[in-house]
Parts: sequence; structure tokens; C-alpha cells
Amino acid sequence: MTQAIDSQAMDPNAPSPLQSMIADSVERLFADSISAEVLARFDAGHAATDLWQQVVDLGLPGALMAEDAGGSAATWLEVSPVLRAIGYWSAPLALSETMLASLLLAHAGLDVPEGPITLIQVGRHGDLTLNEDNRLHGRAFNVPWARSCRWAAVASADGRMALVDLGEASVSLETGSNFAGEERDSLHFTNARVQAVAPLKIADLTEPVWLFGALIRSCMLVGALESSLDKAVSYANERAQFGKAIGKFQAIQQQLAQMAGAIGAARMATQVALRSAGEALHAEPGSRSSLAFDVAVAKVCAGEAATLAASVTHQVHGAIGFTHEHTLHFTTRRLWSWRDEFGSDSQWAQVLGEAAIASGSEGFWAGLTERSL
Amino acid sequence: MQALDIRPCQLGDHTQALRAEVREFLAEALKDFPASERARNWNGADPEFSRKLGERGWLGMSWPKRYGGQERSALERYVVLEELLAAGAPVNAHWIAERQSGPLLMKFSPEVLAPLLLPRIARGELLFCIGMSEPDVGSDLASVKTRAVKTDGGWIVNGSKVWTTGAHRSHYMVTLLRTGPKEEGNRHAGLSQLLIDMQSPGVIVRPIYNMLGEHDFNEVFLDNVFVPDDYVIGQPGDGWKQVGAELALERSGPERYLSCTQLYLEMLDAADPQDSRHAISLGRVAARYAALRQMSLGVAGMLARGENPATPAALVKDQGALLEQSLPDLAHDLFGGSRQAGSTLDQVMRYLTQTAPSFSLRGGTREILRGIIARGLGLR
Repeated sequence: MTQAIDSQAMDPNAPSPLQSMIADSVERLFADSISAEVLARFDAGHAATDLWQQVVDLGLPGALMAEDAGGSAATWLEVSPVLRAIGYWSAPLALSETMLASLLLAHAGLDVPEGPITLIQVGRHGDLTLNEDNRLHGRAFNVPWARSCRWAAVASADGRMALVDLGEASVSLETGSNFAGEERDSLHFTNARVQAVAPLKIADLTEPVWLFGALIRSCMLVGALESSLDKAVSYANERAQFGKAIGKFQAIQQQLAQMAGAIGAARMATQVALRSAGEALHAEPGSRSSLAFDVAVAKVCAGEAATLAASVTHQVHGAIGFTHEHTLHFTTRRLWSWRDEFGSDSQWAQVLGEAAIASGSEGFWAGLTERSL
Repeated sequence: MQALDIRPCQLGDHTQALRAEVREFLAEALKDFPASERARNWNGADPEFSRKLGERGWLGMSWPKRYGGQERSALERYVVLEELLAAGAPVNAHWIAERQSGPLLMKFSPEVLAPLLLPRIARGELLFCIGMSEPDVGSDLASVKTRAVKTDGGWIVNGSKVWTTGAHRSHYMVTLLRTGPKEEGNRHAGLSQLLIDMQSPGVIVRPIYNMLGEHDFNEVFLDNVFVPDDYVIGQPGDGWKQVGAELALERSGPERYLSCTQLYLEMLDAADPQDSRHAISLGRVAARYAALRQMSLGVAGMLARGENPATPAALVKDQGALLEQSLPDLAHDLFGGSRQAGSTLDQVMRYLTQTAPSFSLRGGTREILRGIIARGLGLR
């Protein structure tokens, strides 16, 4: 407290003007447009097409792309309010997927088509392969929003990025969904040709769709976590029993405080990963990146926080939060869905744990400070 | 959530050379230091080791030169702290003085006590203890009964303190006591902080042995102890406000999540890399270490910018204690039925299993911390 003000600690993480502008516009849009009725209609099978047009008008799908590719050249930190807001407002859109797909396609030098674009990581969720003749063959399941997307960005196991037209006759689709009713379809490719393909090199990273996919889901989880906490705190301050607001009871306070701590850890881990995502994109191909470590940490923390927060927020809300009429389930069903997607917390923990065991007592601390186990 | 927001803080590249220097020093200084001693982490005291750190300029390193400091950044100090703790170095002989008493004196007695005592803290020569809890007063600090009454040239103190860590080896005790009554609507009025020389007539220290049979904390009896006016820290009556700022320093440091690190390291070496149960459990802990390190560092950044992050610090300490306390139980889960009595893993596990209950008591109980967090959330 008496330390002289430390110029090196001046906050370089304060939001940039672009980040604040993006945050303001997306918050305003979602707060105005995503009502309980919109979400109920979505659950009943009506896609939020008006909302999609509005995010296109704001330029959000291509925000991460370079300006010469038609984007806004925003950094990951600058677009993070969009990802958070998708989670906070339960936006039923293929927006985070399209943002990532556009970035990866453009980074590989490919033209980015208009409209929503889904994502597939070869080697995860199915036996799909991209062969040497650039033909796709096999099944991919849990493909987000596939039936709403004409295009898919496919990352191969050997570092190629392909764009594929899902309208081709050689592609068939079987519908599915996650717990929140968001489309998670199965695709069957029969020697399907790709529209375009190019090598994709980002630092020393492999499986870019899986890795960045875990990052966007972590950010969306943080938004949904903050929503679950805000709803619980509001409810605890409003609901009175035994003559006082239930938020005055220590039993309620203690649970919410612990939940806030877990959310704080998830938010911090995600912020760190967002920063290294930006650095990785600008690094020389092959150079060391801390992103794989940072994303693993973020997805573990966000997934664990989701498990705790869904439980606590429902407990605090009591029976009303369990009804269809109350809006809490729009948030908690997303927490339960997204904690599984692009790797559950136990899958990412296993990756970290194997690395930590390999580093042993001699190497663990150095790995932690380097963020590279 | 605003009150709980912690932004990441980057350690600049300039800290890398310092980190390497500290690691090199520790590799040599601790080369024969066994795991069972490293397990004590910041509970381990070695005045000789603290003096060596002082010689290197690694104590009070962010303080002004006139106080014996090096005028280096708070974040450079943070690098030294986390390296010491991760290695399990015996830092307790200077820890409290360097962490909170020095900064407290610098802020509230900059012309009298700070010039007198800080240079000696920076040399690793002075040990401090903190007299807060009393026999009938634990978490409810506003109810302290120890009292100072004004006399010619100073104050006469009567009362007693308990759970005072290190009182038996300390030179000074920063003592929270009453110099005036509570006021209507302000139960924290009338509290003050006095610095008590432990050699003063009327100071009696009695050991309290913990469940391991070890002596860390004490009862301290104060029987008509004279404290000169110069030894009042800050203004009489401002004690509660001063303690609040001090607690942010006490609660957010890397010692709040690293206490069980030696046990984690032992588990990594004992783990079977083919056993996914081992990898998943230890990986979850690795993720929490990484997140807590960033949170603790983020609070250090806030302190360095001159903010008072008392609420985020409570959050870090609560989460840190959860991590630390999960480790003995994880060791039980993974290795409880298979480890050999007397093995290194067993020694470290034995000590930390029986020490861990204190981690959510010392420096503010879990319940108090969560009350602070709840207030930050807008509850109560």
C-alpha cells in the first residue's frame, strides 16, 4: 500500500477504445433484441434470423479478420465482449463459430464466403478425413449449427484449412442438438470435394479449430457464468423469507461468494488466453506459443465454474428457477452444454496433467511461470 | 461483480533475469534442504537464510533507499516472493515484517518508526508479529478488549493476545487495541495500532503447541506495558482503517495459494503417467495453480498501481485456500492406500495433512472472507 506508484504496472489491460465500442454496441443490441420470447421461440424451432442480420450489420462475423480480407482487424481481446455477450444473453446464433471460421480461413489466405460458417476439426468427433486429393470422407458429429450454415471450415490433422460447401450432394446431414437446443448436427461426407484448401500455420499450434473452439466456448461460458451470478444475486436481494431478503442469510452469501471466486478464476484464465491468442496469430509459424497451455487452463476453470455455478444458482432460485416460465434455464442449459463442447474440463485437465507429470517436480514450476507445460 | 474484477498483469521481460538470478541462488542455498523441510513453506523460519536474502537486496526491495530498500518495482518483488515460495524456502523469519509491517510503518510513521526499523527489516534482522486475536475475540476484531490508557509520554497497555504467530522469536508486535470506546453506529471507532517492543517489561509470551506438537503460535500477555508516544502507528482511533489496508497485503500474496506446493510436486513424481485418473486430477490442480497465479499477480498489479484491492484479495485468499486444502485430500485419494510410511511423499503428506486446517483460519477465516466477497457482490 505504500509502494510508490509503479509505472511498469500501469494497466495495459484496460480496454482499448475499439473494445469499448464493440462492447457497447453488442450489449445494446442483445439487451434490446434477445427477450425471453425470442429465446422461447428459438427453443420451439424458429431460428433468430433477424438477429443474425443485425450482427452482420454491426460487422461482427468478420471482426477478427484483417482489413484487407474485409474484416475489422480486431484483436481477440477486442472481440471478447461479443463472445461474453453471446453467453450472457444466450444469443442463439452461429456467431462465435463464424467469427473463428472467418479468421482461420482468412489466415490461410482463403476467400471467406458470406453467411454463417461452421467448424470441424478432423480427428475430433468422428472418423472424418481430408485425404491427399483434398476430398473429405467420413462422419463428423456435434457440428455446431451445421443445418443453418451453407459453409464449413475444416482443419485437417496435418495443418490444412479447407472450405467446404455443405450443400453438395456428397454431404448428408442428420439433425441433433445440445441441452440448450442449439443445433449440433452430424454430417456424412462421401468423398466430398472442397471449395478451396490451403496450409494454415499458427505458431507451433496443432488442431486450431479444437483449440480456438475451446477458447470461444470458455469466453461464452464466462458470459453465461456472469449471467447466472447476476440473476442469483438479484433474486437473493428480492426474495424475502422469514421477514428478510434471503441474500441476508449467510448460508446464501457463502455459496454465492464461492461461486464468484470460481467465476473470477475462469474470467482471469480466459483473459490470459485471449491475450496469447492474439500473440499466437502474429507469431512466426513454428515459434513457441503459450496458447495451448492457456486455453487448457481456461477451459478447465470455466468448465469447473459452470458445474458449481449451475448448481448454486438453481439452489438460490429455489423452485421458481426450475420452471419453464423463469428464464434461468436459458443460462444453465448453456452452462451444461458448453462445458462439454470443444473438450470437457476433464479432457483438458488430462492434457495438462500428463504434461505436469512429465515435467515432474523439477520442471513444473518453470513450466507454470513460462505458461508452457 | 465490478468490486471483484481483477485484470491480468504482465511481468515485463526485465523480470526474467531477476527470476533466473533467484533460481540460481536457491539452487545453491537449498541444495541440501530436504523435502520435509520445504513442505513447511512460509512456516519455516531460518534467520540466517533471511539475512542472506537481505544481503542480496531481496527484502524490502521496492522500498525507498532511505529506508534501506532498492527502489525496484513491486512486481520485481513479486517475482522474488513466488520463487522463494515455490522452492519451499524458509522465509518466516522475515515474512510478516517484510510483507505488511514495513509497509504499514512506511505509510503511518514515515518519519519516526520507518527510518528507525525498516533498514533492519531489509537486512533480515527484525522479526515482527501481529497481535490481533484475543482469547474471546477471533473473527470479530472490533470487540478487542486490550486497552491502552494515556500517560505521560506514552500509553499503558493491558490485555492479552492469542494465536500470535512467531511472538516467541519476534522483536516487535503490531498490536490492535482500544484507546477509546465504540461509538453509536461505528463499532470500529476507538481502535488503534501500537508497536510494542517485545523486550518491554510486562510482556509475557507463552507457547501454544499445534496438533503436530510444534510451536508456531503463542499467547501474549500485556501487563502494564509502557509504550512511548512515538510507537503509536498512525493516528489513535484510525486503527481499523489502517488494518483494512494492511489486510489487502496480507491476503493476496502468492503464499495464499502456494503453501502445499511441495505436496503437489511429490505427487507429480509419484504419479503413473499411464493412469488417466492421476493425470486428470493433477491436471485440474495445475489449471487452478495457473489461474490463481494470475489472480494473485493481478492483485499485485492493483497494489502497485496504488489501488486498495481488499475485496479481490479476499477472493484470492478464499480460492487459494480451497486449492491448498484440496491437496492433502487428493494425495489421500490417489496415493493413500499405496504410499510407504516414511517415504518422502509420506513425510510431506503427514505434515501438510495436519497443517492444512489452519489455511482457511489464518489471516481471515473462510467465513469472514466470503462475507467480504458477498458485500462486494451487493448482498447484505
